[in-house]
Amino acid sequence: MNLRVVAELISSLDMSMGSGSSNDNQNNLSEWDRLLLRVGSDRDRSAFKKLYEHFTPRLKSFLLRIGSDMSAAEEICQESMIMVWRRAETFNPESAGASTWIFTIARNKRIDKLRKDNRPLPDLNDPSFFQIPVDKSDDILQRVEEEKKIKNALKNLPPEQAKLILSAYYEEKSHRKIADETNLPLGTVKSRIRLAINRLRTQLEELEG
Amino acid sequence: MNKQNTLTLVESLLIDYASGSLPLALEVLVESHISMNPSSARSIRMLLQIGGALMENSDPISMSEGSFERLMDEIDGGQQDEEIAKSDVSNDNDKLPLPLRNFVSEATFPKNWRRIGIGLSEQTVDFGDEFGNAKLYRIAPGCGVPSHSHDGNEVSLVLAGGFTDEYGSYGPGDISIQETGAVHKPVADADGECIVLAVNEGPIVLTGPVGRLLNMLIK
Repeated sequence: MNLRVVAELISSLDMSMGSGSSNDNQNNLSEWDRLLLRVGSDRDRSAFKKLYEHFTPRLKSFLLRIGSDMSAAEEICQESMIMVWRRAETFNPESAGASTWIFTIARNKRIDKLRKDNRPLPDLNDPSFFQIPVDKSDDILQRVEEEKKIKNALKNLPPEQAKLILSAYYEEKSHRKIADETNLPLGTVKSRIRLAINRLRTQLEELEG
Repeated sequence: MNKQNTLTLVESLLIDYASGSLPLALEVLVESHISMNPSSARSIRMLLQIGGALMENSDPISMSEGSFERLMDEIDGGQQDEEIAKSDVSNDNDKLPLPLRNFVSEATFPKNWRRIGIGLSEQTVDFGDEFGNAKLYRIAPGCGVPSHSHDGNEVSLVLAGGFTDEYGSYGPGDISIQETGAVHKPVADADGECIVLAVNEGPIVLTGPVGRLLNMLIK
């Protein structure tokens, strides 16, 4: 795996991106953030439908890539979107954009499902939701820029590197499968994934500084 | 285990956390750690942002016919009020980080301590998990846990106070990792009680002469 390629690609990103300042933070929100806010404040069904039509096919595709089967993927999509509808009023665009927020809900729904299928489910109050950690220095502009940088960096990765980053989100059994296929110990597979994530993080931090 | 290796393992724990592949006991330990450690909170935040971006960049695959209508039917028939009400339930046990409070009740937490040595008590935390066991330890200021090794990896999180062992000093929010076979003898810092959450894959084996006696007690 050539991690230098990742570094070069990331450092070649447009450094001027997001450097303009805006007094109106709402202007920085994506279309999806705004729709989600409308669902939260007005129970707006047409806004919810647009969110559904944008995110579920992408979420389904993502879940299939990280190891869910077809029916589990659809079920997690549906359960996640119910949660989106119910919890939309708790969506805080300062701490996360719509895609991060929905991803976090889906992550929790997927764990729920794995637990239900494979082991006894303990009595949790609300296992399906947890707040995305908020930085004290947060504001919407900073958060939007952060997520934009990440999105662009990922889009520009060569396929091999993108695969490595994606594999950080695989189910445990998929990591074992990679270890078997590559004849590498599981620890080595995990450590390569960790290095890829670390490198990406370092580059993103350098972009910020 | 030395600090550098521990850092590496904490990073791996955070990645496993973001992907949702940790057993429940470790998931709650990591979530508690994040709530106390801003740097790990930033890592998780970034991992969730990367997850969100990977999800949004995925090539769309259509849901099966009529999914949206089925969803709206379910929502309209729903029990949303019940769901939201449930999530408000939590206890005020401010000695424990929020994620742990779902598993340790405010009522039983002060009562459940079982004395297992001089200045040393423990209580079991039930995660209903098949993965090893999880315990809270309370060590009085300046007191120590008898030298012990680990039959299986152990991840510990300091919830209050601090302790020092052969490998370093740990304060609130710090994680210490003991690999199978590692021997250590933690001593609580002199300035206050130390409370630790330890999640272990297998039973702890005490190695000192007193420890061997204690083995019989804690099994």
